[in-house]
Amino acid sequence: MKSSLRNLAIILGAAAALIALVAAVLFWPASNDGFILDTGFSGDTKITLTTTSPVEKSLLVPQNFTAFEENDPDIQMHPVKVKQKLSGGKNVLSLTFDAPLNRANPHIVKTVPLTSDSPALSLRVEQSYLGHLLFILISALLINNYVFTKYLGLCVFFGTSKRKKTATGMGIVFTIVMLASAIMSWFAYRYVLIPFHLDFLQVVVFIGLVSLSVQAVDTILRKVNPVLFKSFGVFLVLVIANCIIIAVPLYMASNQYNLLETVMLALGAAGGFLLALYLMSSVRERLDLAPIPESFKGLPIAFITAGQFALAFLGFSGLQLI
Amino acid sequence: MNRAALKDIISIVVRLTVTCLLAGAVMGATFVLTHEAKERNEQARDERVLYAILGYGDNRPQNMALHTVYRYVLAREDASSIGYVVPVGDGAQSVVMEVDLDGHFVQHFELLADSARLRNDGERDRAVIAALNAGMHAQGESTIQARYADKFIIATQNGRRNAYILDGKYPGFKTFIRVKMALDEKFSLMGFEVLEHEEDPGLGAEITQPWFRNQFAGKSYEQIKKLQVTRSPVPDPWMDVLSGKITGSEAQTIRQQHADDDIYALTGATISSRSVLQGNQAMIRKFVTRMEILDRVLKEQHIETLF
Amino acid sequence: MANTLTKPQLLGRGLLSQNPIFKLALSMCPAVGMSTTVMTGLMLGCAVLFVQVFSSLTIALFKRQIHPRIRIPTYTLVIATWVTVIDLVLAAVFPAAYAQMGIFIKLIVAFAIITMRLETFACKESVPDSFVDAVGMGFGFMFGMVVIGFVRELLGSGTILGYDVLGFKPFMFFILPCAGFFVVGLMMAFFNWIEQKYRERMANKS
Repeated sequence: MKSSLRNLAIILGAAAALIALVAAVLFWPASNDGFILDTGFSGDTKITLTTTSPVEKSLLVPQNFTAFEENDPDIQMHPVKVKQKLSGGKNVLSLTFDAPLNRANPHIVKTVPLTSDSPALSLRVEQSYLGHLLFILISALLINNYVFTKYLGLCVFFGTSKRKKTATGMGIVFTIVMLASAIMSWFAYRYVLIPFHLDFLQVVVFIGLVSLSVQAVDTILRKVNPVLFKSFGVFLVLVIANCIIIAVPLYMASNQYNLLETVMLALGAAGGFLLALYLMSSVRERLDLAPIPESFKGLPIAFITAGQFALAFLGFSGLQLI
Repeated sequence: MNRAALKDIISIVVRLTVTCLLAGAVMGATFVLTHEAKERNEQARDERVLYAILGYGDNRPQNMALHTVYRYVLAREDASSIGYVVPVGDGAQSVVMEVDLDGHFVQHFELLADSARLRNDGERDRAVIAALNAGMHAQGESTIQARYADKFIIATQNGRRNAYILDGKYPGFKTFIRVKMALDEKFSLMGFEVLEHEEDPGLGAEITQPWFRNQFAGKSYEQIKKLQVTRSPVPDPWMDVLSGKITGSEAQTIRQQHADDDIYALTGATISSRSVLQGNQAMIRKFVTRMEILDRVLKEQHIETLF
Repeated sequence: MANTLTKPQLLGRGLLSQNPIFKLALSMCPAVGMSTTVMTGLMLGCAVLFVQVFSSLTIALFKRQIHPRIRIPTYTLVIATWVTVIDLVLAAVFPAAYAQMGIFIKLIVAFAIITMRLETFACKESVPDSFVDAVGMGFGFMFGMVVIGFVRELLGSGTILGYDVLGFKPFMFFILPCAGFFVVGLMMAFFNWIEQKYRERMANKS
């Protein structure tokens, strides 16, 4: 049991690492060749451009720089201040604007030729995609933890958090099914529901896909690893009674996520569930030994513990990664 | 495979298919039955909110007219530009004003579609694209793409412009906040309504409270640009005015005393409060820029509009 | 027919002795997440009542046609269908209420209480009995939601159904999202305590 658990954890960890690596390779912000090394936001009102060599002082005037949001090309902004600073062998231009920038939208910065041999530049400034994905993951894991801040999946949560062993088992099985069903849901939503205007069938299609993936995992596990199936099989039926598994595809649909974002959301949601289960079971194992008033024994004290966790998780809100 | 098992499988498949068909029929029927009612209700709600933020209750003014301007992002082979669909004449016609990104007029296209047809998204898109391409072909140029961006409403009373109504969506603390907002003819904020949000109940969700929203009302465009969020507590008399406990002339004097105040943040929800302020600021700034360009272009080209 | 209870007993069972929230401890998510006011509790209760009654009726009517091997998928499909129906109807007719409940209406599809009633009751019993059982369970759920909502709204914002009754806000804490856990936990403990006292008295009498 113990070794099979560890094996599974290793497999899961490897899968997550692989996904992160692929994401990193695919979406690492490509450096603009030549003069500009890097672009980015800094603070609420600043855009920074890193260049290979210093720019002549006379060019550093606000009129030489224009910025706009990619979706609103007709709203052009000029910085109020342009500064140049040499830091660590790199030359950094910082453009300060008078209003806060909406960093969720990519911005385009246009400049006049900044050196004698370079053309006028048009640069795309956006938050790094990897950071964005990481934010979705952390957000679903901690900031918007589905159990402690969205109050979903509670029946299964209270049912399987009595012992650490059952808690981790449930969490791992849930993670696998969650990933499988979220990916299938994304394909169904993107290639069937949207093109045929069948948006109103979301609930039926998503719950159908969840049952399908539960069935698939059941069959595969039974054939491939009967030992593992013996210890985890019981949890499979419980997965479908967990609201989180249906909330994630619905959330994905309402936010129009792409595949990679969906995978991150599913990993975060399932990981958050696993984390919540593990924390809760650790406490409940100890609570068994504590002197609790008779009427509070069992579920009531578990609810109050969960409430305290929820209060603690409230502290994550407002956490900003980027 | 033996006969019994085969029979079993066939039976399962048939039953599942029938169940799915029945379920589909029930859902499809409900969708058809409720779809129209949903759209009608949404439109009614939209109108109610619209008149509410303009300051009218149930008795709506008779001689008020609403004119919708739709904005499209146009893409030619080499450059992009903006197209404003503006109603002209007696409302049975529109023109598409093409303006380049620096705010200079490019050309205009006639659009033969009344406002009722324009209200339907699909029909409007087709009409706009057809009109643009007809115009381009007449000049022997290549095709042009058009993508719907947003719309705003200009309200007139007795033919005189008296308000602008805009819709917007911006990031809140949790997810998105969707609002409807009214500006008067000098771009002062008349009021706004939160249509949708997912902020925390008891904390960020308080952005829907009238007292919080009333702080914005009456701020001029110049004031709005400089507004900040302050975390200091709301002075008691000001709070009473904002929540409607004091009215009349007394409220007027207190209102004047606090006319230049910043926006007082909601307790425990400074980030939500700031999101609303910054979202509103960006919405208004963008709108004012566009409206000034459109007004200038219409005047330069001597186009008679309904507003 | 295995059912030996009379109809009033069936109805009372769902409301009290087998209350889905306080006794069976099923469908806890809405009890914590959607109970900040009496009104939201009531509205979600109505939606659950609708889905429970119609799903139970459908299953009870067609129980002979359901192949035992595909029992669970059929239940899921039936529930999902009725959830979609109520979702569409609410969105069309009561848009304001619908906006308040958000994702929870769609999540009724994963509420354990509904599947459980289909599996343990509707697929074996007669149509009228299933109907009464479903109504009892639906009202039991609604009752639980309203009680929790009542406590939270009264203590959190000093109002009932939006009407100001206290004139002040005793504990802002109760309207905060996480207070749902505390309220449900305390109420469960309270019901346990009453039951315990009752049992002690019974024991003393005998």
